[in-house]
Amino acid sequence: MTALLTILLAFLQIGSSPQNTRCFLCHGKKDFGVMEDGKFQSLYVSPKQFSASIHGKFTCVQCHTDVKVIPHFIRPQKVSCLQCHFEGNTVGAPVKWMPEKYKDSIHAKALAEGNPNAPDCETCHTTHYVKSPSDSTSQTNRRNIPDLCGRCHIKQFESYSKSIHYKALENGMLGAAVCTDCHQEHDVLPPSDPRSALSAEGVVRTCAKCHADTLLMARADVPVQQPEAYSESFHGIALENGMVKAANCTSCHGHHDILPASDPNSPINPKNLPKTCGKCHPHADKNVAKGKVHIIPSERSAGIVFYVYTFFKWFTLAVLVFLFAHIALDLSGFIRRKHARHE
Amino acid sequence: MNKADARLDYAADKMIGELLKEEKVELDEKFRAVLKGELVERIRQHVEDKRRQEEERVRKEEKSRREYFLRFGLNFRLQHLTLAVGVLILIITGLPIKFHDTLVAKIFFEMTGGIAVSRVIHRVGATLLIIVSVWHVLFITATRTGRNDFKQLLPTPKDLKDFVQNIKYLLGLSKQKPRYGRFSYVEKFDYWAVYWGMVIMILSGLLLWFNNFFLGIVPKFMFDIATEVHSDEAMLATLAIVVWHWYNVHFNPEVFPFNPTIFTGNISKEKMIKDHPLEYEQMITKTEAQRKKDVPR
Repeated sequence: MTALLTILLAFLQIGSSPQNTRCFLCHGKKDFGVMEDGKFQSLYVSPKQFSASIHGKFTCVQCHTDVKVIPHFIRPQKVSCLQCHFEGNTVGAPVKWMPEKYKDSIHAKALAEGNPNAPDCETCHTTHYVKSPSDSTSQTNRRNIPDLCGRCHIKQFESYSKSIHYKALENGMLGAAVCTDCHQEHDVLPPSDPRSALSAEGVVRTCAKCHADTLLMARADVPVQQPEAYSESFHGIALENGMVKAANCTSCHGHHDILPASDPNSPINPKNLPKTCGKCHPHADKNVAKGKVHIIPSERSAGIVFYVYTFFKWFTLAVLVFLFAHIALDLSGFIRRKHARHE
Repeated sequence: MNKADARLDYAADKMIGELLKEEKVELDEKFRAVLKGELVERIRQHVEDKRRQEEERVRKEEKSRREYFLRFGLNFRLQHLTLAVGVLILIITGLPIKFHDTLVAKIFFEMTGGIAVSRVIHRVGATLLIIVSVWHVLFITATRTGRNDFKQLLPTPKDLKDFVQNIKYLLGLSKQKPRYGRFSYVEKFDYWAVYWGMVIMILSGLLLWFNNFFLGIVPKFMFDIATEVHSDEAMLATLAIVVWHWYNVHFNPEVFPFNPTIFTGNISKEKMIKDHPLEYEQMITKTEAQRKKDVPR
């Protein structure tokens, strides 16, 4: 009897695509699920949250293409985002470089190697409730990124949560650096990879993205000259020209738990500087705290170095004017004497 | 009778002929022949005298040109050579650090294998510079020639007078070129510029080279000052060498393409009299005195 009814139902559905309401008859019930290996697996999808998602206007079967009749008795195949999100798709799914970039990432590599914990698209973007990152309720929204990454990277989150970046974020400063600003979003790579934004050479550019941004730094009340001053320092020049062991931003400032110098726990607190510099310079003592860091000699804020710079600027100019004048005189004298001899 | 004599003979004959024609006088053959012979002889003698005088002049000039004085001893020359090689190495490996944003610097680091290699080369140059500085201090204290040269290099009021006189001379306000001693004010300027530069560059350079050693001794801002001073003085020294020193010893039309004295040690008598008349005179009086003393009484 049941079989007959099913066939009948199936027959009725031929030619028309099933509406979501039909799916939610079962999947819309909160306690709907199956027993699998002795465990209850929920198959519930919130109709309210689904319709609020960016895919809310689509029907379930547009993604679950292998479901032809409802109820379905076969287990549907896992949906791939690339079913729609590929270059040249006809349904208008936005494809940028994201899926391509993800393929290069350490996450994709781990997934391919069979790590069950490695994240796929839906791990971050959710399965049924995908929302634009600009939506503040999306878990890929800037504000929620640390929580999202922290779900797996617990230690890193713990360390990051002590940082000034996280504090600023909590205080509503949305420009503050979150995980993805430094680690990149889709092409997350380990710092040892030269393509990584956090490779020894890349890390300076990565920090400078924000810390050389005059507007952003003005809003955060953080001085903006550091990246420029660093690239003019010997550490910066050495790093730029192949000395990977030269100190970069993170060598002194740390990374996840970055704190301002005023904080006693900060590695760049004057009290901690001997230890921080001592990582590379074995004789570093409290002398290293005597003087300014990240100075631009041509600016008055450089203190004594500014006066040294200014002295040499004018001294060199004066000497050269004198030397050139002397040479010009010498040449003119030579030419005049030569003329006199010829006449 | 050779060709020249024949020509002379013909010329004399013609001269007498023309004169007689003009004056409308006749001479007997014998007298005319004697006159011609005498005329030929006088002309020949005059030409001969002229030629001998010219030869004598050229010979003397050659002699004075080939007459050389030893201006710089071997020790002095080797110091300059070491300094020159060291400074060139330092400039070539140092400027790319100062101008690290330029394409030339990028190419330089690409070619040398990065700063890890170029800084080793820089320190080779630095070692040469340090060696020559110690060497020079020993030279001007422990050797007689060195002490004497150093005394002559000390600035004196005469240098200021020479400078003013030279400006007048160059402007055409005076015909008198300043009479320099062993070292002109131009050479003294070069010497003291290097002296000042060496002190600054070596001190700041050592601080930066052995930063790990000095970190426990001097405060951090001293390193900032050293970095700035090292970079700025390097620029000044490079410009002074390229503009001033190279003009005086290379591009100056009087010495172009270069003045070899600092490498050979020799200076011609001609140049000596022209460029260092006072030293020349002193040298002559000294030699004369020596000679007089040597003559047995």
